[in-house]
Amino acid sequence: MEETRIVHGYWELSTFNFNIEARGINLMLEGFKEKKLKGIKCHQCGMVYLPGPFYCRKCHVNIDEPVEISDHGTVRTYTVQYADIRGEPMPEPRVSAMVQFDGCDSWVMGVVQCDPKDIHVGMRVKIKWKEQTVGNMQDMEAFVPE
Amino acid sequence: MAEKVAVVAFKLACAPDLHTTRERLVFNLTRGLFDELGIDRHAIDSFVMNSNDFLDGRTISTVFLDAPSGAYLKDETKVEMDGVHAVMYGWMRIMSGQYETALVVSLALTGSQVSPYVYTQYSLSPAYERQVGLLNELSGAALQAKAYLSRRGYSEELLDLVAAKDLELAAKNPRQIRRLENAGVERVRSSGPTYEPLRELHCYPPTDAGCVVLLASEKKAAELTDKPVWIKGFGSSIDTYFFGERDLTRSPSAADAAKRAFSMAGLTDPAREIDFAEISALYAHEEPLLAESMGLLPEGEAEKAYRAGDTRPGGSLPINPSGGSLGAHAPCVGGLMRLCEAVLQLRGEAGDLQLDGARTALVHGQDGICAQQNGVVILGV
Ligand SMILES: [Zn+2]
Repeated sequence: MEETRIVHGYWELSTFNFNIEARGINLMLEGFKEKKLKGIKCHQCGMVYLPGPFYCRKCHVNIDEPVEISDHGTVRTYTVQYADIRGEPMPEPRVSAMVQFDGCDSWVMGVVQCDPKDIHVGMRVKIKWKEQTVGNMQDMEAFVPE
Repeated sequence: MAEKVAVVAFKLACAPDLHTTRERLVFNLTRGLFDELGIDRHAIDSFVMNSNDFLDGRTISTVFLDAPSGAYLKDETKVEMDGVHAVMYGWMRIMSGQYETALVVSLALTGSQVSPYVYTQYSLSPAYERQVGLLNELSGAALQAKAYLSRRGYSEELLDLVAAKDLELAAKNPRQIRRLENAGVERVRSSGPTYEPLRELHCYPPTDAGCVVLLASEKKAAELTDKPVWIKGFGSSIDTYFFGERDLTRSPSAADAAKRAFSMAGLTDPAREIDFAEISALYAHEEPLLAESMGLLPEGEAEKAYRAGDTRPGGSLPINPSGGSLGAHAPCVGGLMRLCEAVLQLRGEAGDLQLDGARTALVHGQDGICAQQNGVVILGV
């Protein structure tokens, strides 16, 4: 076998700038301030997205119709995590789930505050909002059983 | 224009850690293949490089991989998706009539050179999914497994049945890296949990891999091999990027890719006409999910089929008789590993794993979290 040596390298990922069309995300975060979910509906096929994109994936047309979505929904799938997304072990197992909120087609991922033994597909949950909502992702503290 | 295109030869290397450089890996694979065939690099009309810049750690990474592959002052192009897409591209280049041969050169050192599974996060949306901070390759796979099992009413035991079937076969395959003794249901079930419902042995092992595949026109194939394996059809399809917008309980893109491939190959009753399938199922649930979506198993009957042994060698439709991706898998190279195994079966060179009378095979490759993109190739002899 040939002799090899290891040379460390890295990419300075922090230097990436991403231009994003923020209407859908801003609409969602503005909604968070009032403890509401706001998505965008495709006027052509009726698909309701959260967060809302500027175009419909299926119809390939501009979309811009805000719709209010209930903050109650159904668990469509879940996993019990023993490690965080970097692979670091967690002190306590964490339940994360994808929830379809009533009136929405997209599934939204979040942490469910419940005993890992109780979680199941089809479980009804609602959003536990922070007391003081400011319009950021942390406003949605968790999902809790209805 | 060429009439048809054959896979004429390949060379494959994989290990948890190949202890080599990227340049040496592609050099050894191409030099080794040329020596076996008694040719040199000038016999290759077109090089289709197949790797991922992020995983190679350099942008437009073919700049340093072309020369060690033999492509110095040659026609060269690149595919960053799974290797089956590179094979489709090579097929097209030969069918154009411009080229008689195309060499696919594929690699990913994901066993030893990057953190396993974690790099997939950098394919996610920086504005949303990365901000939510709960999704990575493993949690995505677990969410898909749970959604699928729940939708179909299958028990979690199906995951153990699939993994045990694959790992028992992988144990007999010298090209696999995860070769376990007593790789049965009990061993799978007692492996450590990763993200429920997935356990360690439901997931592919991080793998260093490289592969070269030589394609040739009918005329050129006759000079290079007496066992050509023909590319009869292929198809490709891609689902939406955002995870929350996907139907995780099935794969519409695998269904679409397979439909295109069947149509091109002239297959009207694929589940009967295909003798076996090599599917890139990186996690145990993906094998029945993809097989159902591609029409190889009736939807809703996968658990019954696995319990009855229908997908084992000797069953009505053997799936992954090589042991599949739970034995070894790396991005880009993954689909080519499945393709090489299918080629060996069709040539009657699969040794202890040889199936009787295998003449038509389905080969599948995937990209993106939970197989966002799917590619299908139909091979035949
Ligand atoms: Zn639409």
